Formats: sequence, C-alpha cells, structure tokens
Amino acid sequence: MKNLNLRHVVILVLLSAFIIPSLCQKLEAQNSDKIKIRIKANYTKVIGESSYIDITTSARIDKRNTNIANINLTVFSENDDDELELGETITDHDGKSRFIIKDLNKLLKDTLGFYTLSFKFKGNDIYNKASNDVVFKDANIEAKSFTKDSINYVSATIKDVFLDSLLAEKLLNVNVKRLFKSLPIGEEFNYTDESGTILVPVEEGIPGIDGNLVVEVILSDSDDYGTVKALVNTPFGKPVVFDDTFDKRTLWSSRDKTPIFILIFANLLIFTIWGIFIYLIINLFKIKKS
Amino acid sequence: MNDHKIIIRDLKPKKFGKRDTIWTISLIVIIVAGVIAYIDQLIKGQEVTNMRDYALWGIYISNFVFFVATSFVGSVTVAILRLTNNNWRTPIVRIAEIISLAAIIMAGITIMIDMARPDRLLNLFIHARLQSPITWDVVIIPSYIVISLLLLYFPLLPDFAILKKHFKKKKPKLSKLYGKLALNWTGSKAQKALQEKSIKIIAIMIIPVGILLQTIDAWLFSTTYRIGWDSSSLAPYFISGAFVAGVGALVTLIYIIRKAKKLEEYITDFHFDKLGKFLALACMIYLYFNINEYVMPLFTAKEGEVDHLNELFTGSYSIGFWLVTIIGLILPIIILLFKKGRKPKVMFYVGLAVVIGSWWKRFIIVTPTLLHPFLPIQGVPESWRHYFPSLHEWLITFATLAMAFLIITVCVRYLPVIPIQRTIDELEASKTNTKNTSS
Amino acid sequence: MENENKNTRRKFLDKGLKIGLATLVGGLGLSQLTSKANAKSKNHSGETMELMTADGKLIQVDTSEVVEVTHSNNHEHKYNVREGMPNRKFVMVVDLAKCKNALKCQSACNKHHYITGDNAWMKVYKMQEAEDTAPYWLPMMCQHCDKPACVTVCPVDATFKRKDGLVLIDNERCIGCRFCMAACPYSTRVFNWGEPGQEITLNMDMTNHTPSPEHAGMPSIKGTVDKCDFCPHAIDNNELPHCVTACPNGVFYFGDKYEDTVTNGEETVRLSKLLEDKSGYRLMEGLGTSPSVYYLPPVDRLVDFEDGLEDFKEFESVEPIEPLEKSE
Repeated sequence: MKNLNLRHVVILVLLSAFIIPSLCQKLEAQNSDKIKIRIKANYTKVIGESSYIDITTSARIDKRNTNIANINLTVFSENDDDELELGETITDHDGKSRFIIKDLNKLLKDTLGFYTLSFKFKGNDIYNKASNDVVFKDANIEAKSFTKDSINYVSATIKDVFLDSLLAEKLLNVNVKRLFKSLPIGEEFNYTDESGTILVPVEEGIPGIDGNLVVEVILSDSDDYGTVKALVNTPFGKPVVFDDTFDKRTLWSSRDKTPIFILIFANLLIFTIWGIFIYLIINLFKIKKS
Repeated sequence: MNDHKIIIRDLKPKKFGKRDTIWTISLIVIIVAGVIAYIDQLIKGQEVTNMRDYALWGIYISNFVFFVATSFVGSVTVAILRLTNNNWRTPIVRIAEIISLAAIIMAGITIMIDMARPDRLLNLFIHARLQSPITWDVVIIPSYIVISLLLLYFPLLPDFAILKKHFKKKKPKLSKLYGKLALNWTGSKAQKALQEKSIKIIAIMIIPVGILLQTIDAWLFSTTYRIGWDSSSLAPYFISGAFVAGVGALVTLIYIIRKAKKLEEYITDFHFDKLGKFLALACMIYLYFNINEYVMPLFTAKEGEVDHLNELFTGSYSIGFWLVTIIGLILPIIILLFKKGRKPKVMFYVGLAVVIGSWWKRFIIVTPTLLHPFLPIQGVPESWRHYFPSLHEWLITFATLAMAFLIITVCVRYLPVIPIQRTIDELEASKTNTKNTSS
Repeated sequence: MENENKNTRRKFLDKGLKIGLATLVGGLGLSQLTSKANAKSKNHSGETMELMTADGKLIQVDTSEVVEVTHSNNHEHKYNVREGMPNRKFVMVVDLAKCKNALKCQSACNKHHYITGDNAWMKVYKMQEAEDTAPYWLPMMCQHCDKPACVTVCPVDATFKRKDGLVLIDNERCIGCRFCMAACPYSTRVFNWGEPGQEITLNMDMTNHTPSPEHAGMPSIKGTVDKCDFCPHAIDNNELPHCVTACPNGVFYFGDKYEDTVTNGEETVRLSKLLEDKSGYRLMEGLGTSPSVYYLPPVDRLVDFEDGLEDFKEFESVEPIEPLEKSE
C-alpha cells in the first residue's frame, strides 16, 4: 500500500497540476472572449438653447474601430462626496447618443465649480462593462451685433459662471451658420483680450435669406469648459434672390407647365386630325345608311 | 359587261395554293419563335439583348425607324401621285396602301418591344409630357394608323360590293363578310359623292400627316446633342429616306404579287417603267441628303464629327456603310437611269437591294453615333464598346418583319390587290373616249 | 490464498483508480475542448453580415453581434418630393488639382446605393484632350443641369428637375425608353437591363423602407434608369453626399448656392471666391445645359497624375461582389 500510495500521490499531484489550471482557464475563457468597449463623451453648451453630452461607443472589431449600437448607459452626476443618478441613454444605430442636460443647477459640482458626469455601461454577453466621464466648468458667452462707421461687427465676451471672471486669451471661432459646415469669418485666430472680449468685422456680401445671418461664436473643445457656442441673429446678410425658373413654363418643366406654344400647337393638331377622322367615320355611317 | 367579268375574275381574291400555305406557315413559325424570345425578354429583362449603357438603342429602334419610313409609301403613291394626276397609279395604289398599313402597325408594335417596362404603357397617356418628342410620336403613329386604314377602306367599298355579289353562290359566308364590309354600297350618287369627297380629304390630309410622321421620327434623334444626330437637316433627310424605302418596298412587293397572282395584264412594263423613274428620283434626292450629312462635315472637320465619319468610312462600320451606300443607293440610281434597268425583273432586284439597304442604313444611323459619346467610354466591360444584336434581338426582329408580311399576306388574300371598281371605271372611261374620238 | 486475494484486490483497485483518473482527465479535457468549440461558435457563428460603419466603411460583422435596428426611415417630408427642399440650390465643386484617382468616391457611392450592375454612377475618367495638353483625372457624376436635356425628353415625367436644383428619377414611373440616356451629353445615366438582384448579392434589407426618388437605388428596379442623385437622403440628415465625405483628398466641395458656401468636410469656403480664385468652369458649357457642378482646373497639382494610374481600371467601375451565402 505504501508503494501504491506514493505512486498514486505522485500521479495525482502531476495530474492536478494540469487539471486545475485548465479548470481555471475554462472559467476565465468566459471572460476573455468579451470585447472591450470605449466610451467617448463630449460636452457642448449652446447659449440660449441646451447643454448636452455627445456620446460615441466604439470597439475594435477585426482590427477596425467600429461604432456599436444599442449600448445602454447610465448617467451619473458626481462630485467628491456624492453621486446622483440622472438617467439612461442608449446609443442609436450609428453608435451615437445625445444626453441632454435639462438643468445644470440640478447637477453636483465641486468647490471649484467643476461638474463631473460619468457614463457607466453594465456590460452584456458580448461586451465588457465600461465607463467614462466628462469634467467641465460652466462658461457663458455673450454675443451681440452692431454697426459702427458703416462696418458690421459681432462682439462676444466669455466668462466663467462659477467664478464670475472674464476669460482672457481664449481662442474663439466665429462662423456664419450654413447648411452643412459653418463658414469661418474674421481672423484665423481670434483671442479674447483682457476683458474676455473679441471683436470681429462681418464682411459685406455674405448671402442670407431676407438678409439674416446667424453668427456663431464658439469656444471649441476647451479642456475646462468643453464646447460653448453662442448664436446671434444679425441682419448683415445680402438678401438672397431666389431663382424662379421652376415655376415658369419651360421645355424641361413638368407636364403641368408645358410651354404655351407646344400646348396650343400640339392640341390644335390633335383635334384637327382626329376631328377630321370623326367626320370621315361619320361619312362611312352615312354611306351605310343611304 | 364581259370585260367586267374578266376583270373581276382576274382581280378577285383567290384561295391559297400550296406555295401560299407554306409561305404563311413559315411566317407563323418565325413569329412564334419571336414571341417566345420576347416572353423571355419580359421575364429576364432586356439583358437578353446586346444593348448596354452605351449602345442603348439597337436594332429594335433601327427596325422601328425602318417601318416608319416604309409606311410613307401610302402618302407618296396614293396622295402625291394622285394630286399630280399620275393616273397610271391605279393598279398599284391598293398594294401601296396595304404596305403602308402593315408597316405603320408594325412600327407601333416594334416600339413597344423596345420599351423595357411595357407594363407601364399607360403612363405614356396618363402622364404624357407634351414637351417630349416621344409623346409626339405617341400622337402621330395612331393617327397615321387610322388614316392608313381609312385610305385603304374607302376605295374598297365598291370592291366589297362587287365581291359580295360574286361570292354569293360559291362562298356564302365570305360573301356575307364582304357584304358587311361593303356598308350597303349600291353605287348610288349620294354614296359616290360621299366616298369621293372623303377620299379627297384623306388624300390631302395624308401628306402633311405622313410628312409629320417622318419628321417626328427624325426629331427623336435630332433633339439630342449626339454627333451624327444633332443635324438641322435630319428631318428632310428622313423624309427622303422614307420616300426611298417606301417605293423600294412597293416595287419589290408589286413584282412578287404580280407574279403570284398573274396580274401581268394589269401591272405592265409601263407601270414598272414609271415606278422605276419614281424610285430613281427618290434615290437621287436621298443621295443629295446623304452628301450633306456625310461629306459636308469634312469641311469643318470638327473632331467628333471626323471621328464619327472615319468610323463609317474606314472603321468598324465601313463594310456596312459602303454596302448600304453603293449597293443600296448609288447602284440603283445608275441602273434605273436606263430603260433596260426599269424592266420588271431588274426592278425587282433593284427594289430588293434598296429595301435591304434601307434596313441596314437605319442600323448605320442608330448604332455608331451611340458608341461615340462625348466622354470616353471607360469603367465598363470591353464588350460594351461594340454592338451586334443578340439571338433574342434577331428572333424578335425577324418576327416583326414576318408579322408585317403576314398582315400583307392576309390583306392580299382577302382584298382585291387592284381596285376592281376603279379599273372598271377606267375601262369604261377609255371606251367612251375611243367611242367619242372615233365617232 | 489471502495474499493472492489481496493482490487481485490491489490490482483491481489499482486499475480502477487509474481508469478513474484517466476518465477524469479525459472528461475534463473533452469538456474543455467542447466548451472552447462552443465558445467559438457562439461568438462566431460563421455567418457574417455585410454592414456599413458610420463613416461608410464596409465590414463583415458576425450576425450574432449585430442587432436589427430599424433604419431611420422618416420619409415624412416637409416638402414635396418633386419640388425639393425649399430655399436651397445645391452645387458641387470638383477640384481637379487634388484628384489622384483614389476611387474612394466611387466605392462609397456604389456601396451606399447598392449598385450591382457593371456601370457606376460616379466615374473617374482618365482625360487628355490633346497630345500636348496635360492629362488629368475627371470625377464625373450627374451634373444636375439647370437646363437638363434628359428631363426635356422624358415622355412620362419620370425624371424631373427640382427647385433645389436636383434632377431625380421616379423609378415607379419610368417606362424604360432610354431617351434620357440618349439625350444626356455627359453619359451619366445607367440602365438596369436585368434584375438588379440587390437583395441577393448585397443582402440589402428593404423592410421598413419605402422607395423614393430621394434615395436612388433603394431599390433599383429592372427596366428603369438610375443615376447620381446628390444624396438627398444624406442632405436630409445634414450630412454631405457620400462621395464628398469619402474622398481622402478633399476633391469634392458641396453646398447651397444661395448661401454661397461650399465645404468638403474640412474646408468651408465661399463658392464665389473659390470659383474666382481658382477659375472654376463647367463641362461642355457651350451645349447650354447649365450644370450644377463646377470644376477647378488641375493647376498647381497637389498630386501627380501618374500616381493615379495604378488604380485605373479601364473596364471596371463597380467591384465584383461575391454573393453572400445565406444559412440553410
């Protein structure tokens, strides 16, 4: 028995050296097959409208970054002490979602005025759990338009709301709002002066419907304040004259706008020819009768 | 009276002999083959043809243009010859009318074959745009069908009456049919007045309608920017081409019918002589237009035009172009200038060359231009740079030609190919003339 | 005797233990193998779907990883489809100095319109007008002319010109006469000679999608004409047409002429300034078609013409697609 015991113990030990790791591996295999998700979040504030966070969830599939749809994220507002659940959001078929902040005052902020919003994904069968957060301070841009010495201007002042201080040396972009991308006006780099203000002349001749132009003043993707956008309606545009060829009678219009000449000539021909046909067929009937 | 009986006996429709039956059956076989090919085209789509995005119109369209051109013979023979008081036309008018009718009906059918969505045919009426040349075509073709029918029918009334009487005993059913079609024709003064007035109106109307038909057909091409089509003289070119095709077809078919029905007494060498001169005139006018279209652009030698013409003169279409021009146009002119060239048998071959030349001429008009777009042909398979019709297209095209022949055959079978009443009238008229002169 | 019994007992136990251990190990090994195999089939069922990423890339994604999402099919327009978006007039500017025949525009257009034929709607021509003049690459698409020859000749109003400048096709009405194709001097229209078969070769899912002239190729219909539509379905979502976003060299600018602004996604400029500075022109201006596409001549080329030759395919503009195998 002794011999057996020793031999068997040795075999057992050797075998367990193989079995136990494979057991552990089996358990781990469940976890390591899941895909890692990345959450990207950007804070944007549009003065006079809303503040929102744009979220994109993506993963690396087949060595390519792909946006993932239908990821359910819970949104929290945090500061050093507390955590407040704000709600949930799900990414759409493009892997994107927009979480609108209804009231900034309801969010938790820390002593320096920083807001922290975190997004947590619980994970599912395919994807690992993940989270990310966005830290920002509240900034305000006040933009207005005026004309001086027959030159049109847009001026904008940016300040930190919590500290109530004007922000100097900030790079602001000034654009005219257009259909796809906005048209930059002013200098390439507009830095705010000591009073947190920029002054940008609006050139003549930019077309706008009824002469209206919406000018945007944007603090783009700043580390502290996120993206802050102010819109100002200005009357500085050149009124657009719309082309009305569509309403005219042309060769290429739809059938309800046939050129008069064709309309008259064609119908005249048709009615004359077929009118004579009717007359001839009547003659045939007359011949039959007589 | 005896003469009348002879005329009726000679000109009346006769039963089909063995040869005629074989002919008809072969036509039907060809038509059935074409129908099967067409059904396949409906199911699979037009990818069964060899048309592709560059050669977007093929022999369906050139066949269509050919039919439209040939249908001009009705206007030409019946109306123009009538209005110019060429009385020798009497024995040939009916055949001309029959050819005209058959051709224009087949034109209407052929263009529908070219439509890739024939299930949406009604859109051409419900959603018609008057600005489009195709809409004008949709108006003019049915109009020409009706006018050809009327042109054929009105002069037939007295003939139907004669045939009704003639067949009363031997073929009562046929006689009844003729009777119905005769519309109670008694030859009364009132009826004759109505008929003559109507024929006069039709004869006058068919000229502008016929010219309009050829013009609109030409405008399908000349309303585009394409080289070879964008010509301000394309419409007169097409009209004179129709003149040639129509008279050529007439000559060929008259010879065949004359031989088949032994009508040598009625359609004489004199008629062929006249027709020959008529055809020569037509060909000479057409040659004039050909020179304008193919030679004159060489003077300004615009790049696109020169490329196009080189394709025709020395390039991939040169064989077709020269065959069509020399054998289909120039040679006939030369032959027809001689009296010997206007003998019936020679005329038959000349007519045949002219007709076949006319068919291929329209292929030369349609295809090379399409393969010469403004921008180079790139990004498509190499086969798309050429076009030769596929089996489906040939089967369907032959079927349309067979259908045209079938319509003609049926008409020739049941209608007197030479107007009986008019022949009788002319005989009477010439008798009274000789009586008057002798007495 | 006892010793023998003991021995056999021992041997029996010995063997039994050995067999037991062997089974245990074997069992574990087998179960591990099968679970690995199962894990594979769970994550990769072998069946893949061809999907489009947000930036127009075509990828193969395992079907088990993809959730069916309804396409945003809000076709409730605030405007008449035949009249177009109010107060807009779309124009495109093509900078020939930047084009090196990358053909990304062509593949994006092909993918987004599910093109299955042999003729693409966006083609890049290799052009050289004369022996002495410089060769260049010419991206060519429907010019959306203001005096469209194709619209003039359509007998059934199937192709129409809109107020916002677009020339579109109603594939439900087209009768397939191809007169528009004969009339177009830019050879920009293609025809569906046979069944386009998009559902089969491209796994196109048409459920919940109503066909509209605003999204050409969804679906393509046998016996009708197709062409570039300036992507109104993208414009509706405030996105630029697919060729504009796909071009890696910023060749295409797109915008509203009334706003006098065009953008290629990166640069946004005044249209009038761009045309004036770079001497923009239109193709075949002398024909009087008045196209909506402007071209900037290939001056001060950013890339050499020869760089594009390697991608030039004289006889192909649509990549042959392997029909995806459906399970069962």
